[in-house]
Amino acid sequence: MYVYDHYDHAIVKQRNAEFSDQVRRRLSGEITEDQFKPLRLMNGVYLQLHAYMLRVAVPYGVLSSRQVRKFAHIARTYDRGFGHFTTRQNIQFNWIKLAEVPAILDELAEVEMHAIQTSGNCIRNTTTDQFAGAAKDEIDDPRPWAELIRQWSTFHPEYAFLPRKFKIAITGATEDRAAVRVHDIGLQLTERGFDVYAGGGLGRTPAVAPLIKSGLPGEKLLSYLEACLRVYNRYGRRDNSYKARIKILVAALGAEEYARQVEAEWNALDQDAIDAPYAEIARIKSFFPAPAYKAEAFDQAAFDRAKAADSRFARWVRNNTLAHRNDDHISLTISLKPIGGVPGDASDAQMDVMADLADDYAYGELRVSHEQNIILPHVHRNDLYTIYQKLDAAGLGEANVAQITDMIACPGLDYCSLANARSIPLAQDISRRFEDAQLSDTIGELKIKISGCINACGHHHVGHIGILGVDKQGVEFYQILLGGRADEKAALGAITGKGLSAEDVPAAIERVVKLYLELRTDPSERFIDTLGRLGRDTFKEALHEPA
Amino acid sequence: MKLLTANRLTDGLVIWYASDNWPEGWVEDAALAKRLEDAEADAILEAWKPRETEIVGAYLIPLVDENTPVQREYVREHVRANGPSIGQTALDTAKAHNRPEVF
Amino acid sequence: MSQPNSASAPQLITAEGQVIANDWQLLADEDAIGADGAYVLTFKRALADLPTLNGRYGVRIEPGDDVRELIPYLDKIALVEVSFPGYRDGRGYSTARILKQNLGFTGPIRAVGDVLRDQAHYMLRCGFTELLLKDADPEGVIAWIKSLYQYSYQSAADAHKPVWALRHAKTEA
Ligand code: SF4
Repeated sequence: MYVYDHYDHAIVKQRNAEFSDQVRRRLSGEITEDQFKPLRLMNGVYLQLHAYMLRVAVPYGVLSSRQVRKFAHIARTYDRGFGHFTTRQNIQFNWIKLAEVPAILDELAEVEMHAIQTSGNCIRNTTTDQFAGAAKDEIDDPRPWAELIRQWSTFHPEYAFLPRKFKIAITGATEDRAAVRVHDIGLQLTERGFDVYAGGGLGRTPAVAPLIKSGLPGEKLLSYLEACLRVYNRYGRRDNSYKARIKILVAALGAEEYARQVEAEWNALDQDAIDAPYAEIARIKSFFPAPAYKAEAFDQAAFDRAKAADSRFARWVRNNTLAHRNDDHISLTISLKPIGGVPGDASDAQMDVMADLADDYAYGELRVSHEQNIILPHVHRNDLYTIYQKLDAAGLGEANVAQITDMIACPGLDYCSLANARSIPLAQDISRRFEDAQLSDTIGELKIKISGCINACGHHHVGHIGILGVDKQGVEFYQILLGGRADEKAALGAITGKGLSAEDVPAAIERVVKLYLELRTDPSERFIDTLGRLGRDTFKEALHEPA
Repeated sequence: MKLLTANRLTDGLVIWYASDNWPEGWVEDAALAKRLEDAEADAILEAWKPRETEIVGAYLIPLVDENTPVQREYVREHVRANGPSIGQTALDTAKAHNRPEVF
Repeated sequence: MSQPNSASAPQLITAEGQVIANDWQLLADEDAIGADGAYVLTFKRALADLPTLNGRYGVRIEPGDDVRELIPYLDKIALVEVSFPGYRDGRGYSTARILKQNLGFTGPIRAVGDVLRDQAHYMLRCGFTELLLKDADPEGVIAWIKSLYQYSYQSAADAHKPVWALRHAKTEA
């Protein structure tokens, strides 16, 4: 993975020095809360419902074992023993003391991490495919490009005060695991360069991004992004924060007109001053070689014996692994969705276990996915059973990836000061209801996504079943959306039926799932396919208790 | 009737007004918060607002009766007073006093 | 929302860190334009009157104004004031870069309005040559910025070379 040189270190250091001074001034009363708030937000420090929360960027979701061990240390030393992995491939610490933030940032800097631009109306952490560099269907590795974007966007002077936050996603595979078309800018790497999509997003006005440019050469990526941002910065709405995202501008102008303005601005820019030369791109690429694969033949017989002897292991292999481009290897997903657990949470001890496993069996590399799971991208298949046993002993052996209990849920009203309703207890209730492994396997792929408010951090619009918390005179209520998906066939779910109380949601979902099982043509027809074939109305009645 | 609540500046934790002393007059257990008459409550809030090196974001929660916050704010205030409802970190104080929850 | 020291009376400081006097005067739209005083015109008035005026004037650009409309009159413009009604409105950063880098404007570009120490670094990078800074110690602010921000990742409208240029200049030499 990318390794900081002294320039990268200096840039993080200068910011930490600045923020330490701001914290000191706040604690001593030299500056007021009003003055301090925008400054702390620029450094990822929120004051949530119960305490300060610190959001740390995990650049494009890539982590080293050393960094994960540092998270464990921070969770143990400065927090209450756990961290929460978010849908933005970041980690949040929920119980941070303000006075200790500078110390935490210094600890993070030791492992080349920071909290810069994790909030505010600026360019946020670029997200990408959690299987980058490992997946079989990859055309080009998105990570070097994401790193190039990270550097260009960090403290970009022109785009620190955009109309709203700005999120870029990038994928290099044919299967879009990064949901690029529901981002402000989505980049798809192809053999001919980048396809650029602009104006997608979730939130109050969800939109799937249209294509605005095809075949953009990689060496021109930064100047083209600069032009995209400039048009947005100048013409994005600023009168209404709900209409300030780029999707509103692109929809208002039309994709073609937006693309035309970007093109004009791009041509006017001094591209050579902006675009890093090929030597720099090559330098960054050199940090992302394939690992030195262990040259050991895959022992199929031993693997089959282990699966036959341990059916839970067999199920875990079936559900939690993905084919690797090296046939002796495999990518595996560690589910952070134990039955009845908090989606995306990991304890300090669990983080240490994952870091150790990465060191011992996965070339020291981990990833965090927007589905709030941890990935070991390169694992030799001979090591799978050992890894499984160690994970299972640490409470990390859940075999439910992409299944109904592998839910996305935002922190919701249990932590978030913007929330209307709780997300986590609802996820827990649903999870317990579908605890049965066989039932879960029978249902197959079904993605439930839960947000505690319209900000949609839980991506509810693109859940096969989406759940949105609303506030009805102080009582939590949930709207159900059906038919969303975040893959290469990205589509937005639509609110179906009337809102439900928290107690009614799990039973309603159970009825919908039962109906699906009755209606599907065969087990290979997934929930989302059956829904697509028959339409939402078929399932609408099932959402409500039969009268 | 009202309760006065805020977050403590240094650690951000939810605290409740019980008396004018700092720091011991602000408690982490909402059950120990002082029930304030409306007029008195406003005056105390105004007096504490500028004390920004101690507390952040002070506000009043109206109570319908002694033990129930108004409906509009109910879930939010309930969660805020009791800690996350998901059992990770809930205030143990209430349990230590043999109450199932703070409110 | 205010920011550190924002209660202070604004002082004009150059990018080089020198406090200077402001001898320009913003004309209200109904005021008569004197022969050759140091007057700053509103954007609308500049577009209406510059075609027939002979002297050189200042122009005040608000966030929604398109700076490129001034292209025909650039030689009559001696100063541009870019207004930040609130520091969160970042359109002025683009305005300054377009002026300096696309239109080749060489006169002073001044940031006015809600101009605070915490944004000063970004402003200087975008090509502002003068800041009407709301701060008790504007010289200190500029000195602090220069000492704190040694490196930048990207090129903008100031003299900072992007880090990639520093990286590869070294290996070539
Ligand atoms: S969706 Fe709403 S409730 Fe959930 S984390 Fe985002 S802002 Fe908070």
